[in-house]
Amino acid sequence: MNGALYAAAGSDPAQLLEVAREFSPRIDVCGPREITLDLTGLARLFGDARTIAGELRRTAADRGLRVRVAIAASRTAARLLVRHRAGLTIVEPGDDAQALAPLPLELLLNVRRGGPSGPPDDQDAEICASFRRWGLRTLGEVAALPPADVAARMGQAGVQWQRLARGDDPAPLVPSVPEERFEQALDLEWPIDGLEPLSFVLGRLMDPLSAHLERRDRGAAVLHVRLHLVSKAVHERTLELPAPMRDARTLRTLVLLDLESHPPAAAIDRVVVAVDPTPARILQYSLLTRPLPSPEQVSTLMARLNALMGEGRCGSPSVVDSWRPGAFAMAPFAPSEPDGGGREGREGREGGVGKALVVALRRFRFAVPARVQVDDGRPVRVTTERRGISGGRIDKAAGPWRTSGQWWASPESGKSGGSGESGRSDPDSPWDRDEWDVTVSDGATYRLFRERDANAWFIDGVLD
Amino acid sequence: MAKIALAALESALRDRKLDRTLTTALPPLEQAADACAPTGVAAVDACLRNGVPRGQLSELAGPRSAGCTTLLLQAMAAATQRGELVALVDTFDRLDVASMEAAGADLRRVLWIRGQVGPPEWAIDRALKALNLVLQAGGFGLVAIDLADVPAATLRRIPFTTWLRVQRAVEGRDTACLLVAPEPIARSAGGLTLTLTGRATWTGTSARPRVAGAELRMQVVSPRRRVGGDVAVSARTDDVPSYVVAGH
Repeated sequence: MNGALYAAAGSDPAQLLEVAREFSPRIDVCGPREITLDLTGLARLFGDARTIAGELRRTAADRGLRVRVAIAASRTAARLLVRHRAGLTIVEPGDDAQALAPLPLELLLNVRRGGPSGPPDDQDAEICASFRRWGLRTLGEVAALPPADVAARMGQAGVQWQRLARGDDPAPLVPSVPEERFEQALDLEWPIDGLEPLSFVLGRLMDPLSAHLERRDRGAAVLHVRLHLVSKAVHERTLELPAPMRDARTLRTLVLLDLESHPPAAAIDRVVVAVDPTPARILQYSLLTRPLPSPEQVSTLMARLNALMGEGRCGSPSVVDSWRPGAFAMAPFAPSEPDGGGREGREGREGGVGKALVVALRRFRFAVPARVQVDDGRPVRVTTERRGISGGRIDKAAGPWRTSGQWWASPESGKSGGSGESGRSDPDSPWDRDEWDVTVSDGATYRLFRERDANAWFIDGVLD
Repeated sequence: MAKIALAALESALRDRKLDRTLTTALPPLEQAADACAPTGVAAVDACLRNGVPRGQLSELAGPRSAGCTTLLLQAMAAATQRGELVALVDTFDRLDVASMEAAGADLRRVLWIRGQVGPPEWAIDRALKALNLVLQAGGFGLVAIDLADVPAATLRRIPFTTWLRVQRAVEGRDTACLLVAPEPIARSAGGLTLTLTGRATWTGTSARPRVAGAELRMQVVSPRRRVGGDVAVSARTDDVPSYVVAGH
C-alpha cells in the first residue's frame, strides 16, 4: 500500500516532509509539493486505508497545510490520482487500472517531469502529441493498446508511458534519507582546565561520533571543535583532514595536538564536536608494493611533528620555478600509491643502481658571513666567526659565476631579513652575486659568494 | 643441564625483550633481498651485501666534504624510486632541495623535518624526538637523521643510551635508519658504520679550474654482519655533463 501527499501551492516543503516522516520512514520526495510514502504495515497502527488518509490530512492541517491524499497499490497510481482529485482518494487493492482509466492523458507528462511547473521533455511531449493524434484522450485508452505495437511504433519510451498509464511503478522506492548531523556535545558539571581532563571528555564524544560515521559509511572531512568557556567566549577550532577518517583515537589525538598549539583562554564548561561527513574511502592494497602508512597515521604523525618542530617545518620539499640559489617550497606530506604499482618498484630497483653519483651541497639556510682575503681578483683566504667552520688558506678556487635576479624589485625588500641573511628569507628580494667554489687547506670544499652591491662575502654551503 | 640453563637464560632475556640485542646469532650470509635497503650505488651495495640493513641503525661518518650527504641523498633517492617513503630529520636545516632532486629523488615521497637554528643541544633534543616519532609511526623505508654539523664535543655528550633507544625503536621494522655524523657515535651492533674520507676533484687549467666532482672513499665496519672493506666511488657535480668527467 502506497500513499501520495500533494500540498497546495505556497506550502512549506519542510513542513510537508515532517508530516510524511511522522507516518513512514520510507518516503520519496517527488517534488517540492509532492511526496510518496510506503504505508505498508500502518494498518495495524491506524486502521484501514481511509483512516490513514484521514489521519495524514488531519496532521497536515494541524501544521497549517492543505493537502490532497491518495492511497493506492502502486506509487504511480497514487501520484496520478492525487494530482487529479482533491481531498481523499482511496483505491482498493486491484482496482488501480480501473481508477486510472478515466484520467486525462496529460497527467502522465506531470508525473514524468516530476512537477507541473517544469518544462516537459521533448520526447515525452512528442509521445503525448502522437497519442492525441491517434485520438487517445485517457490513460485507460493508452493502457489498452497492444504493447508490442506501441513498442514497434514508439520504442521503449512509448512502452514506459503505457506502463505508467496502467499504474505500474517504473522502479522500486528509494527512500529519501534525512540529512544527518554528525555532532556530539557535552555540558560539564564543573568547568575543566587543561588538556588532560579534556582528553577524557573528547574520548566520550568521539566514540559515539565514530560509531555514527561507521553506521552511515561516512568519514570525517572536516572536524569542528567548539569549546564554550566560562568567560562566555567560544573557542572554535576547525581541522581539515587530509583524507576521510573516523577512527576515534586518531580524531581525538588530532584535536588534542591542535589544542596544544592553540589552547583555550579559560576553563571549559561545554564541549561540542561536529564533523562534515564525506563518503568513506575505499582502499585497494597492492600485493607488489609496500603498504603506505594510512592517512590516520600520517595525520597523527604530522600533527605531532608540527607541535614539536613548529608549523611549516615539516612536509615534502618541492622545487620552485626560480633561478634564486637555494629556492624551495614546502608541500604537505601526502604520500600516494606509486603509479604503475610494482613495475615502478622494479624499475626503481634496477634503474637506481649504476646511476652516476651527484655531489650534494649542504646549504646554510642563512648564509654565514665570512671575511675573505682577495689577491689578484681571486679569494686566497677565508675566515669566519661561526663555530665549527674552520676556514683557512684557499688551495683551489673556481669562479666567479655571476648570478642575479629579481632586479626589478625594491632593493629595500632584500634587506628585510637582517644581517647575515643575504635576503634569502624574502623570495621577492633581488640578488646579485658572484659565486666561488673553494677548497681550503683542511680539504673541505665550500661555496662562497660575494654580494656585489654590499661587497660582503658569505659562505653559502659545503659540497659534501 | 647446560642446555636447560641456556634455555632458561634465553627465555628470561626474551621476557625482558633483550634477546635480539644480546643473544641473537650472527645474521646469515645469504639474506632476503628485502632485508636491506640498497643505496643505489652498485659498488657500495656490492660491498654491503645489498645495502643498508633494515631494522638496524647504521652510520655515515666523515668530516666536511667527505661525501656523507652525497651518499645519503643517493640512498634516499634510490628508496623513493622503489616506491618507499623516506624521512629526513634535518637537525640544522641544511638540505639543498636542488641536490636532492638532482640525485633523482621523488620529492613527494620525502618527509623533510626541518630543525631550527638554535643552541646545538636544543636542536639535537628536538631532532631526536622527531626521529623517535617517525620511527614509531612506521611505514618508512629509510629514515635518516643529520647530525653532521654538530660539534664533536656536543655529540659525545649525548648519552649512549639514546642510540640504544633508537635501535630499539627501529628493531623489527622494515625501516633502515641512517645517522650522519662527523664521527662514529652509535656503534650499533647490528648496523653498519661507513667512514667516509672523500675529497673534491678538480678539472680545467690552473688558470681556470673548476670542481668536477668528488672521489668518495668508504671504509665499511660491521664485524657482526661480516661485511667490511674499502670502496671508492666517484661523484660528479650536477652542472658538469658526465662526458666531461669521463674525459671524452
